[in-house]
Amino acid sequence: MMIRLEQVTKRYGDKVAVDSLSLQIEAGEVCVLIGPSGCGKTTTLRMINRLTEPTSGHIYVDGRDTATVRPEELRLSMGYAIQSVGLFPHLTVAQNIAVVPQLKHWPKARIAARTEELLRLVGLDPAAYSAKYPRQLSGGEAQRIGVARALAADPPILLMDEPFGAVDPLTRERLQRQFARIQQSLRKTVILVTHDLDEAIRLASRLAIMEAGRLVQYDRPEAVLASPANRFVRSFVGADRALKRLARIGIKEFIKKAPSVPVDTPVAEALRATGGYRWLWVVDRQGRLLGWVDRDLLAIAGSVREVMDEGEPEEIALSEAATLREALSRMLGQGIKYIPVVDSEERLIGELSLRDVEAATTEGES
Amino acid sequence: MRRDHVRWIVLAAAVALFIAVIVNTAWWQTVFGAVFTAHTEVLYPRATPLVLVWEHVQLVGISSAITIAIGIPLGVWVTRPSGRPFLQLVTDVTSIGQTFPPVAVLALAVPALGFGLVPTVVALFLYGLLPVVRNTIAGIRSVPVDVLDAAYGVGMGRWPALWRVELPLAAPVILAGVRISVIINIGTAMIGAVIGAGGLGTAVVAGLVRDNVAFVFEGALAAALLAVLVDQLLHTVETSLNRARGGG
Repeated sequence: MMIRLEQVTKRYGDKVAVDSLSLQIEAGEVCVLIGPSGCGKTTTLRMINRLTEPTSGHIYVDGRDTATVRPEELRLSMGYAIQSVGLFPHLTVAQNIAVVPQLKHWPKARIAARTEELLRLVGLDPAAYSAKYPRQLSGGEAQRIGVARALAADPPILLMDEPFGAVDPLTRERLQRQFARIQQSLRKTVILVTHDLDEAIRLASRLAIMEAGRLVQYDRPEAVLASPANRFVRSFVGADRALKRLARIGIKEFIKKAPSVPVDTPVAEALRATGGYRWLWVVDRQGRLLGWVDRDLLAIAGSVREVMDEGEPEEIALSEAATLREALSRMLGQGIKYIPVVDSEERLIGELSLRDVEAATTEGES
Repeated sequence: MRRDHVRWIVLAAAVALFIAVIVNTAWWQTVFGAVFTAHTEVLYPRATPLVLVWEHVQLVGISSAITIAIGIPLGVWVTRPSGRPFLQLVTDVTSIGQTFPPVAVLALAVPALGFGLVPTVVALFLYGLLPVVRNTIAGIRSVPVDVLDAAYGVGMGRWPALWRVELPLAAPVILAGVRISVIINIGTAMIGAVIGAGGLGTAVVAGLVRDNVAFVFEGALAAALLAVLVDQLLHTVETSLNRARGGG
């Protein structure tokens, strides 16, 4: 479902909250509205489902002017998720999720099945959570229920206002990752309001930066970070925008093949395998990363195991799904120039070098 | 849930005990006879305590039912966009209704409505309206803006939002208002006896006229017991309602 805003303006008395905003959001995109507080991003979101009526201008959903659609009907086609307080406190988790399907008069059995499905989708056990009340949930759980409720009737459009706002940073990041994963399979048209730039960069396929009711830049996050449209955007995305841009880039294409040997390899053979490298990654029979050996130590050792530095894969290695920003942060934090990369089964794929990451950083800086 | 069951059992036992006490005229005779030795007649002769309580319950029941039936919709209406201009007017008028002494209402009502049940019910209705209306308004206003926003945001219309979100969330506050109103009514209904509406006030009035303290005590004691009982009953409904939604 495509959404198009045409010259949309909202005035409150003399104050202009949104100033002739035009914006087109393609189907399946995640458009993140971001800007300092009071920039009109929430007002813009609320005008899309007519919780707020525009003073002038038109909003089209799939070519249809929303002003001609009954607000209730319009809203039923759009999931709406706000901070956790938006859950109905007198209804259980299951009843909260069932609200929209009920308004759409789904049969009971279908609602029950859908509720279970959604709880699983957001990673909560239906047996444990269905009968709970919102006040019995943690902030993170409540927000996941909020997202589940918004998705309940499988609306093509999802409107989200700071959906991951009221939780600690660690939980927020987990929820964002989960949401990104869900979105990858559902491909909803999402409009998300946030003031958190990192969240925006992590989730957006399009970034709409707003200032004082106006849209100042609308582009892919990489493009916004690489070339901010004006001084406002430049200062808003911050001096570390090069670093932030790395959060948009996966490490996959930077992974290089790295020498590795099974742990029971004879020393002489292992030494040959180093092939000029200073380090050698050590794996087990199944290819799972165990640790590494120093070539110089290996030369005077009796076996590989004897001189191997061991470590848990999640501590010493990067997941192949990581971003360059994580890679850089890990390498700088641990003071290393090379880091092994493993797949989801912890099998060694290759390694990443600090130099390659640096090269990627400066590429888009011209 | 278990604590609830216990409460209901205790309450049922209290009701049974109350009825047993009211019905047992011999017991009243013995106790009052021992306390009020100055009087030869210690119980109001025209009706048994049971009949008086029954009349009283009818008076309170009818007037409270009307109060609730009018008070809650009125309170809801003035929180709707269509009724909001009348919010101040309605709260003012119901406040006046309560500042007006019920006896005065009776005095004014009798010429128009005659004696008996009707003018008493009118007086009780006016007197009990304020807590119901005020608590209905307060209850609906206590619904968090975000929750209401979410209700409209997910696609509820005004009626579904009222029935499924606003009223359930306001229910504890509204119910508290009903409880106050009913308890006030139990006490105020005593004055109905002055214009022949019956009820426990009859014994009190007769006692005052005949200078018989025992009659006064008979009516007052029964009314007090009734008030305590009904209060507990409504209180239990309130708490079980709160607990049903995961509250403490």
